[in-house]
Amino acid sequence: MDMTPMIDIVFLLIIFFMTVTQVSKVNKEQLDLAKQKGSQDQQTATITINVTEAGQYVIAGNTVTLPRLVSLVSQELSALGGDATRLKVTVRTDQRGISRHTNEVMKALSRIGVLRVNNAVESPQ
Amino acid sequence: MRLTNRRTQHGEKIELSMTSMIDVVFLLLIFFMTTASFVKTERQLDSNIKNQDSSSASASDLEPAIVDIVESGGRFVFRVGARDVQDSGELTRILRQFPSKLDGAYVKVSDEAPFGMVAAAIQACKDADFTIVTYVPPK
Repeated sequence: MDMTPMIDIVFLLIIFFMTVTQVSKVNKEQLDLAKQKGSQDQQTATITINVTEAGQYVIAGNTVTLPRLVSLVSQELSALGGDATRLKVTVRTDQRGISRHTNEVMKALSRIGVLRVNNAVESPQ
Repeated sequence: MRLTNRRTQHGEKIELSMTSMIDVVFLLLIFFMTTASFVKTERQLDSNIKNQDSSSASASDLEPAIVDIVESGGRFVFRVGARDVQDSGELTRILRQFPSKLDGAYVKVSDEAPFGMVAAAIQACKDADFTIVTYVPPK
């Protein structure tokens, strides 16, 4: 039995799945983001805040409280010499949730001097 | 010296066993097929944050484009001035009529508003050529 075409196809499939497989992204939770075209491509964020539908704050896979979130952002800010313009904060909010939790994040960020954020959206297919 | 000997010195034909390679290849294939999750393209909507309790006011705050996301008749709508709209396309058309885009647009977000509408409002402001969009959470 000639195995050559089968091996060709199997290798092709392996290469396909290897290339399309999402490399583990710890900082991105599985959320249902708003389907909008956005204003620009997503840049690499210094800190990514995930706000789940239930209103939980998740940073790098860890559920945190709002004071802890503020503390983490403050640490990042200190590491950048206190220059908020160099800090890129991406807020990923589940579109099914209400805005209260995101509002709390925004208010907390503005209190520590972070006055610019990027809201993540998902490109509609 | 010949590198591509097909027969040994004793004239025996070399046979390459494919079984173990195919085992491994199938294992890899099954692994990648089961763990594959397709990447969704994410983009971003940049916005400034302004607290409603901040007292700083500038000349540009006189007549800014303000989109309020409020509940009206049991459902959330976009409110621009006295007009309530539900469709983000219509909101974009209204926002395009503002003469000065340099002053920026403000999106006032009530706590109960669904975030999907907030994103739609910011997107509408961007589509209407407002370069600066400010997210205004409640007090």
